[in-house]
Amino acid sequence: MERQSRVMSEKDEYQFQHQGAVELLVFNFLLILTILTIWLFKNHRFRFLHETGGAMVYGLIMGLILRYATAPTDIESGTVYDCVKLTFSPSTLLVNITDQVYEYKYKREISQHNINPHQGNAILEKMTFDPEIFFNVLLPPIIFHAGYSLKKRHFFQNLGSILTYAFLGTAISCIVIGLIMYGFVKAMIHAGQLKNGDFHFTDCLFFGSLMSATDPVTVLAIFHELHVDPDLYTLLFGESVLNDAVAIVLTYSISIYSPKENPNAFDAAAFFQSVGNFLGIFAGSFAMGSAYAIITALLTKFTKLCEFPMLETGLFFLLSWSAFLSAEAAGLTGIVAVLFCGVTQAHYTYNNLSSDSKIRTKQLFEFMNFLAENVIFCYMGLALFTFQNHIFNALFILGAFLAIFVARACNIYPLSFLLNLGRKQKIPWNFQHMMMFSGLRGAIAFALAIRNTESQPKQMMFTTTLLLVFFTVWVFGGGTTPMLTWLQIRVGVDLDENLKEDPSSQHQEANNLDKNMTKAESARLFRMWYSFDHKYLKPILTHSGPPLTTTLPEWCGPISRLLTSPQAYGEQPKEDDVECIVNQDELAINYQEQASSPCSPPARLGLDQKASPQTPGKENIYEGDLGLGGYELKLEQTLGQSQLN
Amino acid sequence: MEPGDAARPGSGRATGTPPPRLLLLPLLPLLLGWGLRVAAAASASSSGAAAEDSSAMEELATEKEAEESHRQDSVSLLTFILLLTLTILTIWLFKHRRVRFLHETGLAMIYGLIVGVILRYGTPATSGRDKSLSCTQEDRAFSTLLVNVSGKFFEYTLKGEISPGKINSVEQNDMLRKVTFDPEVFFNILLPPIIFHAGYSLKKRHFFRNLGSILAYAFLGTAVSCFIIGNLMYGVVKLMKIMGQLSDKFYYTDCLFFGAIISATDPVTVLAIFNELHADVDLYALLFGESVLNDAVAIVLSSSIVAYQPAGLNTHAFDAAAFFKSVGIFLGIFSGSFTMGAVTGVVTALVTKFTKLHCFPLLETALFFLMSWSTFLLAEACGFTGVVAVLFCGITQAHYTYNNLSVESRSRTKQLFEVLHFLAENFIFSYMGLALFTFQKHVFSPIFIIGAFVAIFLGRAAHIYPLSFFLNLGRRHKIGWNFQHMMMFSGLRGAMAFALAIRDTASYARQMMFTTTLLIVFFTVWIIGGGTTPMLSWLNIRVGVDPDQDPPPNNDSFQVLQGDGPDSARGNRTKQESAWIFRLWYSFDHNYLKPILTHSGPPLTTTLPAWCGLLARCLTSPQVYDNQEPLREEDSDFILTEGDLTLTYGDSTVTANGSSSSHTASTSLEGSRRTKSNSEEVLERDLGMGDQKVSSRGTRLVFPLEDNA
Repeated sequence: MERQSRVMSEKDEYQFQHQGAVELLVFNFLLILTILTIWLFKNHRFRFLHETGGAMVYGLIMGLILRYATAPTDIESGTVYDCVKLTFSPSTLLVNITDQVYEYKYKREISQHNINPHQGNAILEKMTFDPEIFFNVLLPPIIFHAGYSLKKRHFFQNLGSILTYAFLGTAISCIVIGLIMYGFVKAMIHAGQLKNGDFHFTDCLFFGSLMSATDPVTVLAIFHELHVDPDLYTLLFGESVLNDAVAIVLTYSISIYSPKENPNAFDAAAFFQSVGNFLGIFAGSFAMGSAYAIITALLTKFTKLCEFPMLETGLFFLLSWSAFLSAEAAGLTGIVAVLFCGVTQAHYTYNNLSSDSKIRTKQLFEFMNFLAENVIFCYMGLALFTFQNHIFNALFILGAFLAIFVARACNIYPLSFLLNLGRKQKIPWNFQHMMMFSGLRGAIAFALAIRNTESQPKQMMFTTTLLLVFFTVWVFGGGTTPMLTWLQIRVGVDLDENLKEDPSSQHQEANNLDKNMTKAESARLFRMWYSFDHKYLKPILTHSGPPLTTTLPEWCGPISRLLTSPQAYGEQPKEDDVECIVNQDELAINYQEQASSPCSPPARLGLDQKASPQTPGKENIYEGDLGLGGYELKLEQTLGQSQLN
Repeated sequence: MEPGDAARPGSGRATGTPPPRLLLLPLLPLLLGWGLRVAAAASASSSGAAAEDSSAMEELATEKEAEESHRQDSVSLLTFILLLTLTILTIWLFKHRRVRFLHETGLAMIYGLIVGVILRYGTPATSGRDKSLSCTQEDRAFSTLLVNVSGKFFEYTLKGEISPGKINSVEQNDMLRKVTFDPEVFFNILLPPIIFHAGYSLKKRHFFRNLGSILAYAFLGTAVSCFIIGNLMYGVVKLMKIMGQLSDKFYYTDCLFFGAIISATDPVTVLAIFNELHADVDLYALLFGESVLNDAVAIVLSSSIVAYQPAGLNTHAFDAAAFFKSVGIFLGIFSGSFTMGAVTGVVTALVTKFTKLHCFPLLETALFFLMSWSTFLLAEACGFTGVVAVLFCGITQAHYTYNNLSVESRSRTKQLFEVLHFLAENFIFSYMGLALFTFQKHVFSPIFIIGAFVAIFLGRAAHIYPLSFFLNLGRRHKIGWNFQHMMMFSGLRGAMAFALAIRDTASYARQMMFTTTLLIVFFTVWIIGGGTTPMLSWLNIRVGVDPDQDPPPNNDSFQVLQGDGPDSARGNRTKQESAWIFRLWYSFDHNYLKPILTHSGPPLTTTLPAWCGLLARCLTSPQVYDNQEPLREEDSDFILTEGDLTLTYGDSTVTANGSSSSHTASTSLEGSRRTKSNSEEVLERDLGMGDQKVSSRGTRLVFPLEDNA
């Protein structure tokens, strides 16, 4: 008897594992299908459906099949056991079943009305991931990749605008959506669709903040393919990346906003606490992420790890992952930390890596990003049918659609107007329209919404978010190409061609003007940062830049000598130097202004001028480096090697 | 090996380098310490929170606990990651200084041990918060449990079964429990990339040339070794019973099980050194092939031994029916997994052949990865062994799909799996170090451990020498005595034995086995792994043989070689070595499989009989016809593969570095650079640190065929 029960439980466990395998297999299968379809599409140059859209379609189909084709198995595990002796819910539970002790782990709390559907279908239940998987496994590579592939030069040129859009814009959009949704909720209460007191203003704000995370992968992919104006690309990409970070932290601080007495009235103390939380978490995550990146940069600079690209790649990967884990362990937001870690890694560490590792890391994260993104979108399609607690509320959904458009408009147009006051190179109307149009919602909004689906309002939000993501990805994503032509936005602008024109005489003046404008665009603060970065951080963290001994004051001579790598003094035309020149180009703002500044030795200046006909080529390398184009990468590699040899 | 020892070689040797490096190394332990402190604080606070029993705080406490648990998970993962980081840095130092006595896996174990000690003795034991209930009435365990606690419903998931005696020890230390992974993690996450990489990087030509011997070693050898170890251990167990040292049951099947798990050799250390020193390619292929297939055999063998359940009352007596059932299970699982792996490999090859996916390397890589992973999942879902399926999938992918991939995807897939393999392997080894202290159910039994040590050496000897003798009867290209000694010597145990042992640690016998396995792994990796270089020089095994310096494998050189005296003679011998069944397979592969699955080979229209002309035209890719014009990319591949089919190229490297081998060994040991002889210099340069050189070497070594392309 004992033996039999043991075998039985073993079988149960066996079944359990098999289920896990089957479930993963379904996803694998879906992804493979997606890849093949996408290949077909790309091959025939259909641009109306991006791979993420395709993943969602397949997810939907699979969800439909699972929902209606599998028999609802009657699992007994749904039986509720009453336990009188237990007064609270411990994290582990030891259950004694016929002298065999089993260990159970606390999973979650279930609200009462969710119990019944819970018993329905074992497979459906299996297909539902733990929402934390998104945050701990799938999102980090996506976000890191985004940070790692921010195009540096254009990004820093438009830094001011991007930060404005990301911070102010997200806050505005959050509040506007929250207010509009509150209006709709009031209307729903009026119409008797909702009980009073279920849906508070904080819930509306919560929805607003999670809805503010835009994720225009589809649009960006098309932009990249069509080589749309780099400024527009950078604005959109930078905004969407930072946006995510802001939205995540904002959501978190709204969810912990808990006033003391009346839980939903305004309470100044709690409000300021929330704001403090927001700032604290954001700053903490930022610091954590950049600290790890700086450690990596220093390690790669001072060890000759570049002799072993595999070790280097491993180190890079592990330290970037540690940034995430440390932030989580310290109670900060891992994703935000990972984002800034990525940005810093791209800015500093990337220059220290061997050329092999550069390609490896890029490809590794590109690959992980691709997989994770498609898994998430696939899961979204699946979730529409397999998630069991959907609450479809037409009014709420309608309101949400309206709200996100209004909020996006309130985000883009006024801010662009304000920015145009300061910017010399204005953001034209068609860019503004395009940015307004590309307010797609994606993985982050979904992950934030699925994180908490306990209460009824949260479930309603989740359903709405899902529908919004579907709609925006399919309709807006599909409409990007027509929209581009309609708005007469330049396509086919090769980033590199743009630069190649530079030396050619007829564009000289226009381009100079252009440059001056962009130069002026960045405010004094940013210029200060540039020069600081160029003079101190770059030399400390990488092999490039002027030697520290020249930039630091006299009295810290020993430290500067210690920190400057021998290469910085050394022969100019070395590999690092190429990068250095490129970096300088990026810093051209600073450079051109103070061409005769003491910090740059005349030799370098001469070299720069001498190299100016070649600069496009080097620029080319550089752009290809950070770009996503596989082929460019390859070319770049061989080029770099031939230069080395 | 003490912690201090591990740290000293690194820092001590670094004196010549700029000081910042020294400043940086301690930074990581500092961070680690910080992480641990956070963890300690977290566990302390959570226990404080749990102590509160007021009903208002319950919900909050649970939520907080979940958060704490997440935080602790992060910390424990962080611990491992920092360990790996540290390992990487130290390994870099070692490689930089050419210290070869300690491989990265050995180092990972040392760091794991240190952290294990810290965790064991440095963190306070938190009081157990688990409660044993007896208020439920079900008669079997469910995977999920819904519990109604004062009006609130909580969901619990089954974590595992605990033997009643262990309830107390389970509760001991939260942090220790956190760093103890579910053993299935090894099988489902960490081992597949390692095994796949092994399969994917099997040196094709040399592997196929020695296929017969490798298969003999892997199958027969593992079986022999399993039985011998099992019988010896049974003797030891009997002895222990007489001496009264055995406190629980230990059956003959348990002994056999131990034999099976410990038969999985894993000479990563030795292979890494061979690779670095370019030891004889045949020896390398024999060892590597044996160890790879060995793992597969050992896994299936151990699972079929577990499945051996005689009917009737006496559950541990010999029962012919049950025995044959076990054999049947073994064959079934093995062939099933093999088929599964081969089929998905073939499907991938077909997909990559007939779509033009190679225009998009990212998509191609992703497809490749997903298909290979699907193999694993599919096999697991069908009840076969995923790891074995993945191994054969890797071999098939390397043999067929690899030829269809775009150049970029080739390097991408290789690098991807290389990184995964590297991380997973070091993770497992550092976990091993950790497990010695953090695993809570160790059973140390000196007699058993000594017996096991004796048994594995005897088992290895009984495996290598007789089999080599028999193989030498058939082989013309004999396996020399020094090769046999070296193979005997490189019977290291590693990740696979550990993973198999940790999978089931419920009973007393299994716990004893686990402890013993752990110690054997430690011993073999450190001592035997460290002794590889001296052993190589002592046995006079050629090092510095560059496999790429084999004649450029095309038909011209083949002709030349034929008339080349000793080389051609040897070539003929190797040809003879493979029995006609292998030759049959080669020609089948060359005539039908290659053209169907890849762009290379002769067009099917010429090889297939006339009556299936339509099918042949359908399956032959257009490129094949173009291949008639020589020297396209696929074409060179084709020539190369033909090269490995003809089996005729002996290593024609007349520049055998036998004389300098001892040189190298000694120099490497002393860590000083002597650049005396010319060949030495060549070797040095090859092993040297020019990053371009090493990287290109790495890719070349793994896939010699591609490099010639």
